[in-house]
Amino acid sequence: MNDTKIFTYARTAMKNLFHKPATTSYPFEPAQFPERMRGHIEIDTAECISCGLCMRSCPTGAIRVDRAAGTWTINRFDCVQCGSCANLCPKKCLHMTPGYTQPAPQKSEETFELPKKAQPAGASQKPAMDPEKCVYCTLCAKKCPQGAIEVDRAEKTWKLDASKCVGCTLCASSCPKKAIEMK
Amino acid sequence: MAKRSIVPFGPQHPVLPEPVHLDLVLEDETVVGAIPSIGFIHRGLEKLVEKRDFKQYVYIAERVCGICSCGHGMGYCESVEHVMGIEVPKRAKYLRTIWMEMSRVHSHLLWLGLLADAMGFESLFMESWKLREKILDMFDATTGGRVIFSVNCVGGVLKDMDSAMLAAIARTVDDMEADMTPLFQTFLKDYTVQSRLKGLGVLPRDQAILQGAVGPMLRASGEEYDVRMLGYAAYSDLDVAPVTATAGDSYARCEVRLKEILQSFRLIREAIGKIPGGDISVPVKGNPNGEYFMRIEQPRGEAIYYVKANGTKNLDRFRLRTPTTSNIPPMVELLKGCQLADVPLIILTIDPCISCTER
Repeated sequence: MNDTKIFTYARTAMKNLFHKPATTSYPFEPAQFPERMRGHIEIDTAECISCGLCMRSCPTGAIRVDRAAGTWTINRFDCVQCGSCANLCPKKCLHMTPGYTQPAPQKSEETFELPKKAQPAGASQKPAMDPEKCVYCTLCAKKCPQGAIEVDRAEKTWKLDASKCVGCTLCASSCPKKAIEMK
Repeated sequence: MAKRSIVPFGPQHPVLPEPVHLDLVLEDETVVGAIPSIGFIHRGLEKLVEKRDFKQYVYIAERVCGICSCGHGMGYCESVEHVMGIEVPKRAKYLRTIWMEMSRVHSHLLWLGLLADAMGFESLFMESWKLREKILDMFDATTGGRVIFSVNCVGGVLKDMDSAMLAAIARTVDDMEADMTPLFQTFLKDYTVQSRLKGLGVLPRDQAILQGAVGPMLRASGEEYDVRMLGYAAYSDLDVAPVTATAGDSYARCEVRLKEILQSFRLIREAIGKIPGGDISVPVKGNPNGEYFMRIEQPRGEAIYYVKANGTKNLDRFRLRTPTTSNIPPMVELLKGCQLADVPLIILTIDPCISCTER
């Protein structure tokens, strides 16, 4: 066994005594957040087309989109800041912003009213299929968040329910043959 | 013969970071047997794979454990990528490797702090965790999360690091290496640490293999085994050699983890030097169909990922065998014959992660 040595840690201890603290004096000194920090979700309501992809992709079910009522609701206490909704949003109206949300004595939801303007930009555009290019692979129907497209491979039919379509363009971007155009 | 008694140990115990429960069979102060029972924090995360989209499940796989989060996400993604035959871009593989090695530094520093705390060496505990903060800050700056990164996705990674960010990581690693010298000196040379750890909980090499120990626990017993040598992610391009010690006691386990931190620093620098340009992910089309079984080296040891897909967006099965599951049998062996007062420290030297184990 080694000889007993005393005060081997004394230098570090002394340094710590006369050194600036390693921690900051929060809340007197505001916290500094890096640019990429996934603090909380923010929505740009003007751009939202209520497609509901965020609601479906949320692993904890913290988001609720009510298309009829025109609201977008988030339970910030259920949100785990994974960024899944912001990654998938076709209109990129969801952003992960640095900074934490306020604590509260009980869990509550935050509801955003989506502006009831005539139609959000792009929503007036509906997909149109080019029968010469389409191979009826059904990918557009699978990707559609509203289930507005119906494709029958055997019958070679492609139907769009315009009342359900929100103009998210996901069908056009997922089409392997580029047969769908937004018009 | 001394009178036998059974002492329940855990799930709540001041020294335990996680809720493991043991029934210790004692003869006076000597432990003659230990019966582990787990299941206090079972959350059924594996079952959720049947309810969530296979791409969405990455976020759940990452939340199996706070410390090995990056590895679990990566292990799951790589398994699904193998099933689907996706070739991930080289840059994404390097980025995964860099984050993985940073996680190893973070995990080992956390463990060193807990070990110092278990010995009652509070200033050493604070020094370890103070250093760990630098790595956490780098995670925050590069991924957006301090502990759970959510950077892995099926097909690559979600976030790129530009050259300024990589240079900042290299600088932090250099600073940390300099700051760690007193920490190394204290852990490896200090009389107090040595008197507490040397000769405590000796696991001979043959026993370590027989009982199925993994990770630093196995390497501290002299077995050269490190799953990183299989060459997943970008490890095939990097110079990885297992860090080993021969004594097999608690001190050797501490030594292996300390030296692995230095190895991780070297690997991070090497990966930053070699990282190629290009895309960070490839588009994923269709659903997986088939099964795959892969192993990765988590900071705590070898973890096994098994994925079985059926051609739909939900997987049939996802199985995760965590390092702590394998390290519990050797831990029970170690406890036999030790003193009751040494039990917390011996449990801690396996670096238990019960959240991972119970999922």
